[in-house]
Amino acid sequence: MTSLDQPVEAVRPTRTLLENVTATFIGRPSMIFAAVVILTFIAIALFAPLLAPYDPLAQSYLVINAYPSAEHWLGTDQFGRDVLSRLIYGSRNSMIFGITAPIIAALVGTTLGVVAGYFGGIFDRLVTRMIDLLLAFPDLLLAIIISAALGGGFWNILAVLSIAFVPGFARVARASTLAVKQEPYVEASVAVGLRTPLIILRHVVPNIAAPVVVLMTLWVASAIRLEAALSFLGLGTRPPYPSWGNIIRDGLNNIFGSPWPIIGAGFAITLVVLSFNMIGDAVRDLLDPEIGQ
Amino acid sequence: MTRPLLKISDVSVEFGPKANAIRVVDSVSFSIGAGEAVGLVGESGSGKSITSLSILRLIPDPPGRIVSGSIEFEGQDLLKLPANRMPEIRGRDIAMIFQEPMSSLNPVMTIGDQIAEALMLHQDLDRDARWQRVIEVLSLVGMPDPAARLGAFPHEFSGGMRQRVMIAMAVACNPKLLIADEPTTALDVTIQAQVLELMKSIRASVNTAILLISHDLGVIADLCERVVVMYSGRIVEEGSVESIFSKPEHPYTRGLLQSIPRLDDDRKRLYQIAGTVPMAGSVKKGCPFYARCDLRVDKCAAEMPPMFEFSKQHKAACWVTGEAEQ
Repeated sequence: MTSLDQPVEAVRPTRTLLENVTATFIGRPSMIFAAVVILTFIAIALFAPLLAPYDPLAQSYLVINAYPSAEHWLGTDQFGRDVLSRLIYGSRNSMIFGITAPIIAALVGTTLGVVAGYFGGIFDRLVTRMIDLLLAFPDLLLAIIISAALGGGFWNILAVLSIAFVPGFARVARASTLAVKQEPYVEASVAVGLRTPLIILRHVVPNIAAPVVVLMTLWVASAIRLEAALSFLGLGTRPPYPSWGNIIRDGLNNIFGSPWPIIGAGFAITLVVLSFNMIGDAVRDLLDPEIGQ
Repeated sequence: MTRPLLKISDVSVEFGPKANAIRVVDSVSFSIGAGEAVGLVGESGSGKSITSLSILRLIPDPPGRIVSGSIEFEGQDLLKLPANRMPEIRGRDIAMIFQEPMSSLNPVMTIGDQIAEALMLHQDLDRDARWQRVIEVLSLVGMPDPAARLGAFPHEFSGGMRQRVMIAMAVACNPKLLIADEPTTALDVTIQAQVLELMKSIRASVNTAILLISHDLGVIADLCERVVVMYSGRIVEEGSVESIFSKPEHPYTRGLLQSIPRLDDDRKRLYQIAGTVPMAGSVKKGCPFYARCDLRVDKCAAEMPPMFEFSKQHKAACWVTGEAEQ
């Protein structure tokens, strides 16, 4: 009976997820910067009413186009509204859309992609055609078309951003599912007596999660950018409510009177988008076994 | 004679479009008694894996399908069972061990969860009892310190250890039949020996019937009582291990046995059966082994030989040896 008392080969201690995350962050000082920026902006968005020195909608004809001063840290615009307060409230839009739209799109797109990839057939062809159709338009153009049809408003913007991202998720999820479906462990789970819905939930979805999560983090930046672009074009958040996009739009008409709205909002967008992109890259390296470690 | 545990009668499997389907398994019949170990031997492409997959109806459809025959398990024809009843049989009554231990485990699920999955589906145990059973089967397959390994992921194990986990998954629900599709092919020779020892000890302790698919006659001789030899989708010889190894009646089986390299043999070149396996379904008429056979006569090309009985336990499909026996 040699088999039952064979010593187990030495097993390399594996790193936990937390250790992996820590290692990724310590390996890149820029990650700490990005994380600080994002956490700061999330805090600003959450506590906007406490932080904003003025009402972002309050106009004052006494301080039109003011330069930065002790009262107005970032100056005022052509209506005498405090630029800093508007930026602070505007961050709420960017954060809410930036974070929720990719999550909604990931849920919808992944479901479509996994079901299409796993079952194939007519549903698969239908979904694939739909993806091709939507991907034929650039994100922004697609968003403009849909929002022109739906109009502005919070829910419509959320719908527009989500729809714009669904095809990307569906395509990635479908392709990954096609690969995972062929794996012997999926066949083995059939042989164990698992029924199809459980096979998909327990064996397919966890194995395609990595690319979906990477895509989600990378698209947070895109969603923020897209919302700003829509608002800039007048299709997103409606004035007078501030969003970084329409702050720039308002500022553009008055660029020689007061450049501060454009400078401030432009800087905020750049900083947040850059930070989310850096985090997205880090998440990709962390989850992709081909690149990482 | 009592009713066999599994009785496969006249099963044929085809692949490809119906109009010009390729018959990969042709009228295969054999049976397995309760607690019996049967070996299924054949070259690559002989249809042995497809035969084993057809028992659990795991043949990917499309492109494949079982076109005829019956597979009776405890008297119940599995091929007539509605498809949504099959998951109840899979894993509980008939379990399967796959060829590739390196990829047959879900990489993002702990081995404890994967073994517990089968139990969750088929046995009504509470959480504690289930984990207790998982630890029990893990120690049964020789996993050292099983309780500590429940939370380990597949990549933390070597191939041999993963195959042990696969075996643990398969025997967790005490199946009546264990189908092992080349369980040792992907492993080192030393690990192969360990896994075979393990299969033997498991068979002794849980009294399950085993269908062992292999192209390694040594493995079969070690574990099985009866051998079924397949060639080009057909069964060409069937009998007890002793009778087939001592007195093979089909020229193909003879060739297979002669091909085993021997330590006490000083020949420079290893024996081989001349020619190659005909593509599945390409032989429409006559014996599929005709083109490579040393004993062939004209009749072989014209007509497929039936199974001739050489003894109560021993049958072979060959005109030449069969008619000489009569």
